[in-house]
Amino acid sequence: MAWRIEYYEQHDGSVPATKFLDGCPAKIDAQFNAVLDAVAAAPPPRFSGGGKWEAMHGSMGGYYEIRLSGPGREQFRLFCLLENAAPTELRRRGLKAPSIVVINGMRKPHRTTFTDRDYRKHVRALGEDHLANIPRRLAQ
Amino acid sequence: MSRTGFHERRRTERMRDPEFRAEYERARSEIEQIDSVVRSLDQLRENTGTSKTDLARRIGRNPSSIRRLFTARSNPELRLVVQIANDLDADIIVVPRRKKRDRRLRSDERANATAA
Repeated sequence: MAWRIEYYEQHDGSVPATKFLDGCPAKIDAQFNAVLDAVAAAPPPRFSGGGKWEAMHGSMGGYYEIRLSGPGREQFRLFCLLENAAPTELRRRGLKAPSIVVINGMRKPHRTTFTDRDYRKHVRALGEDHLANIPRRLAQ
Repeated sequence: MSRTGFHERRRTERMRDPEFRAEYERARSEIEQIDSVVRSLDQLRENTGTSKTDLARRIGRNPSSIRRLFTARSNPELRLVVQIANDLDADIIVVPRRKKRDRRLRSDERANATAA
Protein backbone atom coordinates (compact mmCIF):
# COMPACT_ATOMS: atom_id res chain seq x y z
CA MET A 1 0.00 0.00 0.00
CA ALA A 2 1.33 3.45 -0.90
CA TRP A 3 2.07 5.77 2.00
CA ARG A 4 0.86 9.34 2.31
CA ILE A 5 3.15 12.35 2.26
CA GLU A 6 2.40 14.93 4.94
CA TYR A 7 4.07 18.18 5.99
CA TYR A 8 4.66 19.21 9.60
CA GLU A 9 2.98 22.51 10.46
CA GLN A 10 4.15 24.82 13.25
CA HIS A 11 1.81 26.26 15.87
CA ASP A 12 1.67 29.56 13.95
CA GLY A 13 0.47 27.77 10.82
CA SER A 14 3.77 28.03 8.94
CA VAL A 15 5.14 24.98 7.14
CA PRO A 16 8.97 24.92 7.35
CA ALA A 17 9.45 22.28 4.63
CA THR A 18 7.45 24.13 1.98
CA LYS A 19 9.17 27.39 2.90
CA PHE A 20 12.46 25.56 2.28
CA LEU A 21 11.28 23.93 -0.96
CA ASP A 22 9.86 27.20 -2.28
CA GLY A 23 13.34 28.71 -1.86
CA CYS A 24 15.09 25.88 -3.74
CA PRO A 25 15.85 25.96 -7.49
CA ALA A 26 12.92 24.46 -9.43
CA LYS A 27 14.98 21.42 -10.44
CA ILE A 28 15.88 20.65 -6.83
CA ASP A 29 12.26 21.05 -5.72
CA ALA A 30 11.27 18.68 -8.56
CA GLN A 31 13.86 16.10 -7.51
CA PHE A 32 12.73 16.22 -3.88
CA ASN A 33 9.16 15.63 -5.02
CA ALA A 34 10.25 12.76 -7.27
CA VAL A 35 12.09 11.01 -4.42
CA LEU A 36 9.20 11.53 -1.98
CA ASP A 37 6.71 10.11 -4.48
CA ALA A 38 8.94 7.11 -5.26
CA VAL A 39 9.46 6.28 -1.57
CA ALA A 40 5.75 6.72 -0.79
CA ALA A 41 4.87 4.37 -3.66
CA ALA A 42 7.32 1.68 -2.47
CA PRO A 43 7.77 2.42 1.23
CA PRO A 44 10.42 1.03 3.59
CA PRO A 45 11.79 -1.55 4.04
CA ARG A 46 11.81 -1.91 0.24
CA PHE A 47 14.66 -0.27 -1.60
CA SER A 48 13.33 3.00 -2.97
CA GLY A 49 14.31 6.55 -3.83
CA GLY A 50 17.15 5.80 -6.24
CA GLY A 51 19.77 5.94 -3.49
CA LYS A 52 18.86 9.51 -2.54
CA TRP A 53 16.73 8.46 0.43
CA GLU A 54 18.83 7.49 3.43
CA ALA A 55 18.35 6.64 7.09
CA MET A 56 20.25 8.96 9.42
CA HIS A 57 22.36 7.86 12.39
CA GLY A 58 23.72 9.08 15.71
CA SER A 59 21.85 12.02 17.19
CA MET A 60 19.65 12.05 14.06
CA GLY A 61 18.67 8.39 14.41
CA GLY A 62 15.01 7.88 13.49
CA TYR A 63 15.12 10.57 10.81
CA TYR A 64 15.46 10.02 7.08
CA GLU A 65 17.00 12.47 4.65
CA ILE A 66 16.86 13.07 0.93
CA ARG A 67 20.30 14.15 -0.28
CA LEU A 68 20.62 16.22 -3.44
CA SER A 69 23.39 18.19 -5.08
CA GLY A 70 22.53 21.41 -6.91
CA PRO A 71 24.23 24.15 -8.96
CA GLY A 72 27.83 24.75 -7.85
CA ARG A 73 27.59 21.44 -5.96
CA GLU A 74 25.52 23.13 -3.27
CA GLN A 75 24.07 20.47 -1.01
CA PHE A 76 20.33 20.25 -0.31
CA ARG A 77 18.78 18.05 2.38
CA LEU A 78 15.15 17.33 3.22
CA PHE A 79 14.45 15.69 6.59
CA CYS A 80 11.56 13.36 7.23
CA LEU A 81 10.03 11.11 9.87
CA LEU A 82 8.10 7.93 9.16
CA GLU A 83 4.82 7.28 10.93
CA ASN A 84 3.57 3.72 10.81
CA ALA A 85 1.38 1.96 13.37
CA ALA A 86 -1.83 0.01 13.72
CA PRO A 87 -4.85 1.73 12.11
CA THR A 88 -6.33 2.73 15.49
CA GLU A 89 -3.07 4.34 16.57
CA LEU A 90 -2.72 6.15 13.23
CA ARG A 91 -6.26 7.49 13.62
CA ARG A 92 -5.40 8.65 17.16
CA ARG A 93 -2.47 10.59 15.68
CA GLY A 94 -4.76 12.10 13.05
CA LEU A 95 -3.16 10.22 10.19
CA LYS A 96 -5.21 8.58 7.43
CA ALA A 97 -2.51 6.00 6.62
CA PRO A 98 1.18 5.26 7.22
CA SER A 99 2.94 8.48 6.28
CA ILE A 100 6.20 10.15 5.40
CA VAL A 101 6.15 13.39 7.35
CA VAL A 102 8.36 16.09 5.87
CA ILE A 103 9.79 18.17 8.71
CA ASN A 104 12.21 20.71 7.23
CA GLY A 105 15.12 21.18 4.82
CA MET A 106 18.58 22.70 4.94
CA ARG A 107 21.21 23.65 2.36
CA LYS A 108 24.97 24.11 2.60
CA PRO A 109 27.98 24.72 0.36
CA HIS A 110 29.89 21.69 -0.92
CA ARG A 111 32.42 20.22 1.53
CA THR A 112 30.92 21.85 4.60
CA THR A 113 28.98 20.14 7.36
CA PHE A 114 25.91 20.89 9.40
CA THR A 115 26.66 21.20 13.10
CA ASP A 116 24.69 19.28 15.69
CA ARG A 117 23.26 22.66 16.69
CA ASP A 118 21.91 23.05 13.12
CA TYR A 119 20.27 19.66 13.31
CA ARG A 120 18.89 20.34 16.79
CA LYS A 121 17.48 23.77 15.97
CA HIS A 122 16.20 23.20 12.45
CA VAL A 123 15.19 19.54 12.51
CA ARG A 124 15.02 17.77 15.88
CA ALA A 125 13.25 20.62 17.70
CA LEU A 126 10.58 20.61 14.98
CA GLY A 127 10.41 16.82 14.86
CA GLU A 128 9.95 16.66 18.64
CA ASP A 129 7.19 19.26 18.43
CA HIS A 130 5.54 17.19 15.69
CA LEU A 131 5.67 13.99 17.72
CA ALA A 132 4.38 15.75 20.85
CA ASN A 133 1.13 16.71 19.14
CA ILE A 134 -1.82 14.34 19.27
CA PRO A 135 -3.39 14.63 16.79
CA ARG A 136 -0.48 15.69 14.63
CA ARG A 137 -0.45 19.21 13.26
CA LEU A 138 -0.20 18.79 9.49
CA ALA A 139 -0.42 21.19 6.54
CA GLN A 140 -3.88 20.99 5.01
CA MET B 1 -11.46 19.60 3.67
CA SER B 2 -10.10 18.71 0.25
CA ARG B 3 -9.93 15.00 -0.69
CA THR B 4 -6.56 15.61 -2.31
CA GLY B 5 -3.61 15.86 0.04
CA PHE B 6 -1.48 18.94 0.59
CA HIS B 7 1.52 17.31 -1.12
CA GLU B 8 -0.45 16.37 -4.25
CA ARG B 9 -1.97 19.84 -4.54
CA ARG B 10 1.43 21.51 -4.19
CA ARG B 11 2.98 19.16 -6.76
CA THR B 12 0.13 19.76 -9.21
CA GLU B 13 0.64 23.50 -8.81
CA ARG B 14 4.42 23.22 -9.32
CA MET B 15 3.91 21.05 -12.44
CA ARG B 16 2.66 24.15 -14.23
CA ASP B 17 6.31 25.23 -14.37
CA PRO B 18 7.79 23.44 -17.44
CA GLU B 19 11.24 23.31 -15.84
CA PHE B 20 9.83 21.63 -12.72
CA ARG B 21 7.76 19.18 -14.78
CA ALA B 22 10.65 18.14 -17.05
CA GLU B 23 12.98 17.59 -14.10
CA TYR B 24 10.33 15.73 -12.09
CA GLU B 25 9.68 13.33 -14.97
CA ARG B 26 13.41 12.84 -15.61
CA ALA B 27 14.10 12.19 -11.91
CA ARG B 28 11.19 9.73 -11.56
CA SER B 29 12.48 7.77 -14.55
CA GLU B 30 16.04 7.70 -13.15
CA ILE B 31 14.86 6.66 -9.68
CA GLU B 32 12.64 3.95 -11.15
CA GLN B 33 15.57 2.45 -13.07
CA ILE B 34 17.90 2.40 -10.05
CA ASP B 35 15.20 0.98 -7.78
CA SER B 36 14.36 -1.65 -10.37
CA VAL B 37 17.98 -2.89 -10.55
CA VAL B 38 18.35 -3.18 -6.78
CA ARG B 39 14.92 -4.80 -6.27
CA SER B 40 15.60 -7.27 -9.11
CA LEU B 41 18.85 -8.32 -7.43
CA ASP B 42 17.08 -8.73 -4.09
CA GLN B 43 14.36 -10.82 -5.75
CA LEU B 44 17.00 -12.96 -7.46
CA ARG B 45 18.77 -13.41 -4.12
CA GLU B 46 15.53 -14.58 -2.51
CA ASN B 47 14.70 -16.88 -5.43
CA THR B 48 18.08 -18.58 -5.09
CA GLY B 49 17.62 -19.00 -1.33
CA THR B 50 20.68 -16.90 -0.57
CA SER B 51 20.69 -15.07 2.75
CA LYS B 52 22.11 -11.55 2.93
CA THR B 53 24.80 -12.85 5.28
CA ASP B 54 25.81 -15.63 2.87
CA LEU B 55 25.86 -13.20 -0.03
CA ALA B 56 28.04 -10.78 1.94
CA ARG B 57 30.47 -13.55 2.88
CA ARG B 58 30.75 -14.81 -0.70
CA ILE B 59 31.63 -11.39 -2.11
CA GLY B 60 33.84 -10.39 0.83
CA ARG B 61 31.61 -7.63 2.16
CA ASN B 62 30.30 -6.72 5.56
CA PRO B 63 26.75 -8.14 6.00
CA SER B 64 25.55 -4.70 7.14
CA SER B 65 26.47 -3.21 3.76
CA ILE B 66 24.20 -5.74 2.04
CA ARG B 67 21.36 -5.11 4.48
CA ARG B 68 21.73 -1.36 3.97
CA LEU B 69 21.69 -1.73 0.19
CA PHE B 70 18.49 -3.76 0.07
CA THR B 71 16.62 -1.54 2.52
CA ALA B 72 17.55 1.82 0.99
CA ARG B 73 19.65 2.82 3.97
CA SER B 74 22.56 3.85 1.81
CA ASN B 75 23.36 5.04 -1.67
CA PRO B 76 24.00 1.98 -3.87
CA GLU B 77 27.57 1.73 -5.04
CA LEU B 78 27.79 0.43 -8.60
CA ARG B 79 30.77 -1.80 -7.77
CA LEU B 80 28.73 -3.53 -5.03
CA VAL B 81 25.74 -3.92 -7.34
CA VAL B 82 27.94 -5.57 -9.98
CA GLN B 83 29.59 -7.85 -7.38
CA ILE B 84 26.16 -9.04 -6.22
CA ALA B 85 25.00 -9.60 -9.80
CA ASN B 86 28.12 -11.64 -10.53
CA ASP B 87 27.65 -13.76 -7.43
CA LEU B 88 24.01 -14.44 -8.35
CA ASP B 89 25.09 -15.31 -11.90
CA ALA B 90 23.35 -12.32 -13.45
CA ASP B 91 24.43 -9.42 -15.64
CA ILE B 92 23.72 -5.72 -15.35
CA ILE B 93 22.93 -4.60 -18.88
CA VAL B 94 22.07 -1.28 -20.49
CA VAL B 95 19.40 -1.42 -23.18
CA PRO B 96 19.18 1.58 -25.51
CA ARG B 97 15.65 2.92 -25.82
CA ARG B 98 14.13 2.11 -29.19
CA LYS B 99 12.88 5.62 -29.89
CA LYS B 100 16.26 7.30 -29.45
CA ARG B 101 18.07 4.51 -31.31
CA ASP B 102 15.68 4.75 -34.27
CA ARG B 103 16.00 8.53 -34.32
CA ARG B 104 19.81 8.24 -34.40
CA LEU B 105 19.68 5.67 -37.21
CA ARG B 106 17.39 7.91 -39.28
CA SER B 107 19.73 10.83 -38.64
CA ASP B 108 22.73 8.75 -39.80
CA GLU B 109 20.83 7.67 -42.93
CA ARG B 110 20.03 11.29 -43.75
CA ALA B 111 23.67 12.26 -43.24
CA ASN B 112 24.83 9.45 -45.51
CA ALA B 113 22.30 10.42 -48.22
CA THR B 114 23.48 14.04 -48.09
CA ALA B 115 27.12 12.96 -48.34
CA ALA B 116 26.34 10.76 -51.35
